[in-house]
Amino acid sequence: MLSLHIVALLIAGAQAAVLTLQSPRFTVTSSTGAQLRSEPISLARPASIPVTLEKDDVLKVTFQVIEKGASKGVQPHQTFLRFYDKKSGEEGIQPIRVTNGGKAKFELNMAKPPLSLPPTSDAPLQVTLLIGSPLHSPLSVALFDLVVPASQPAPVHPDEASFHPLPEIHHTFRPEQKLPPKPISAIFSVLVLSPWVVLLGLWAQTAPRVPHLLSPSILPFIGTLGAFQGLLVWYWADLKLGQVLTYGAVLGLVTIFTGKQALSKIGDQRVGRK
Amino acid sequence: MAPKSSSPAASNVVHSLWKAYSDQTSDRLKFIDAFLVFLMLSGVAQFLYCILITDYPFNAFLAGFSSNVGQFVLTASLRSQVNPENKNEFKEVSPERAFADFALGSIVLHFFVYNFLG
Repeated sequence: MLSLHIVALLIAGAQAAVLTLQSPRFTVTSSTGAQLRSEPISLARPASIPVTLEKDDVLKVTFQVIEKGASKGVQPHQTFLRFYDKKSGEEGIQPIRVTNGGKAKFELNMAKPPLSLPPTSDAPLQVTLLIGSPLHSPLSVALFDLVVPASQPAPVHPDEASFHPLPEIHHTFRPEQKLPPKPISAIFSVLVLSPWVVLLGLWAQTAPRVPHLLSPSILPFIGTLGAFQGLLVWYWADLKLGQVLTYGAVLGLVTIFTGKQALSKIGDQRVGRK
Repeated sequence: MAPKSSSPAASNVVHSLWKAYSDQTSDRLKFIDAFLVFLMLSGVAQFLYCILITDYPFNAFLAGFSSNVGQFVLTASLRSQVNPENKNEFKEVSPERAFADFALGSIVLHFFVYNFLG
């Protein structure tokens, strides 16, 4: 069924009547109504002189679509004018209304140009008439070249400025901090270390007697406290956090025992003395 | 040690205060007091350096200064707890317990200080 249909279409295409235009004509009038140019259009070759429209000029194109060899007008399904700019590659398609009798009239008023007109470049627009009809072979007629006034520049989008590469970002860094000059460092080193002299001097006067410091019950506690300080210095110099926490936990257990022993011994001595 | 004062009365007061401190304070408390003075002087010196010259190794300043301040607080609380005159205020805190607290607090403080040293 389908193939039969296609065959029927093919036969129809083979036998399709050819469309042609009767008395195609264009007219250019100025805004005051004066006729500037009026010529019939040759279907064989486009007009040698481009049609030039000034601002406010009106272009009128009239024709009648007929079957070749008959005088009866035909209303095709699709009729378009194509404005093609060869240089920029832009094109615009303008549909044309054709009456039942095949008569068509197209008016291009440059005071109010249609949206389908492509933006101008310095090349003229090639105007082509395209006619499509299922009962006839398609028709494409190059009508003329059209020179229109320059279109206005495309409006600038308000956000257009945001869509450009920004200037390169240059990071600024705080200048490298410097150590103060050596003499000042030396003076303040002495100043910061001088309290040790005060401390040792005062301790020399007031050092309390520690008769039991080296007794076997107290010495381990002092030793483990010293070991803790040594561990922390070692941590500063070399160790990682996990290591120092592990060693510190072990050392802490030892310190708890030694400390409990030493402090309870001291406490007993203090209470017994009273 | 007593500062010289222009007024004889003020000088007298300071002198008697100093004398009372020397006579009535035990050597153990003086020992602790000497340490407190040392911490204060050391902290002041470091702070002066930070303000006047530079705070460039800021972590080192933080470590040094905070160790002074922290150690001062720990030592001051140790002193107030072992002072026999404060016995009634710290009834359940024996001097041994106070020293154990001091040792533990110092170890924790030193751990953080060494972290800051960098």
